[in-house]
Amino acid sequence: MDKPIYIRSRWFEDIPVGEFHVFGSYTFSEKEMVDFGKKYAPQVYHTDPVGARDTIYRGLIASGWHISAVWMRMMVDYMERFATGVQDGRRNGAGINVEDLHWIKPVRPGHTLTYTYEIIEKPERVVRDKWGIIRSRNEAFNQYGELVFSFVIDILAERRPQQEQAQ
Amino acid sequence: MCARRWADLAVGECFSTNSITISRSDIFEFAADFDPQPYHLDAEAGDNSIFGGLCASGWHVTAVMMRQLTDTFMDQGIYLVGSSSVRHLRWLKPVLADDALTSVISITDKFTAPEAEFDYIECQVEVDNQHGEPVITLSTSLMIGSEDSR
Repeated sequence: MDKPIYIRSRWFEDIPVGEFHVFGSYTFSEKEMVDFGKKYAPQVYHTDPVGARDTIYRGLIASGWHISAVWMRMMVDYMERFATGVQDGRRNGAGINVEDLHWIKPVRPGHTLTYTYEIIEKPERVVRDKWGIIRSRNEAFNQYGELVFSFVIDILAERRPQQEQAQ
Repeated sequence: MCARRWADLAVGECFSTNSITISRSDIFEFAADFDPQPYHLDAEAGDNSIFGGLCASGWHVTAVMMRQLTDTFMDQGIYLVGSSSVRHLRWLKPVLADDALTSVISITDKFTAPEAEFDYIECQVEVDNQHGEPVITLSTSLMIGSEDSR
């Protein structure tokens, strides 16, 4: 049997380009969309299911930043499920930048998004002496199989310490 | 309030937003919903992390930016139909508890959307903390109402 996928406890060097994961599905509720909209994006089409009917969307839609925040939650939950060996997740660093983010189709109440990521590159750059960069393409598909959201993100991953490399 | 349509906006126009302070409980609340990682939920874990202290989720910072952008456009009477893309986004510095954030939004380009009720503006956005240091920058395409239709 193959080794378990200890995603979060891997060193930068052990994370392969081409790795692909379907890492979570989430159904957006009207209430959560309105709650997020009222706090962070209070346009009528994010906050008022009735008023939203008179907009070009003809109904309530999720804020794009809500869709990306749920991406983060799905990613954290997925990492937690597979994280063994490293309690504080220190081998995973922060996201440092995003490129080419697109909100392609509206997400409406009851829509279920399935999130995927593929590691597409490991740029040759060392950050603060110990971090490497993992570049992934992330996509979300709705229940009709339509691509609704995509972006590329660079996330830091800790490089294997020199003494361990020598062993 | 005089409504401003896409045609009324000019490349080079610049808007400064109000300031929003992010409290510890704001950080915990967003993190519990969307980014439950130790450095967003626990001060000690934050101290030991790459960020050097309890800090807001990067997606919390972008959400606060959106709130500031939305409020500012509403104040200006600009009908924001939505965001379609973000070409680049950089998280430059951690946002710590009680940091006060202000955004500056500059219109860098305009382009039309054929046969739509909106057209596009391209904006460069910088979010600064209370020390005047940029914490995030992004360039984003926004859809702006072109006619009286909502």
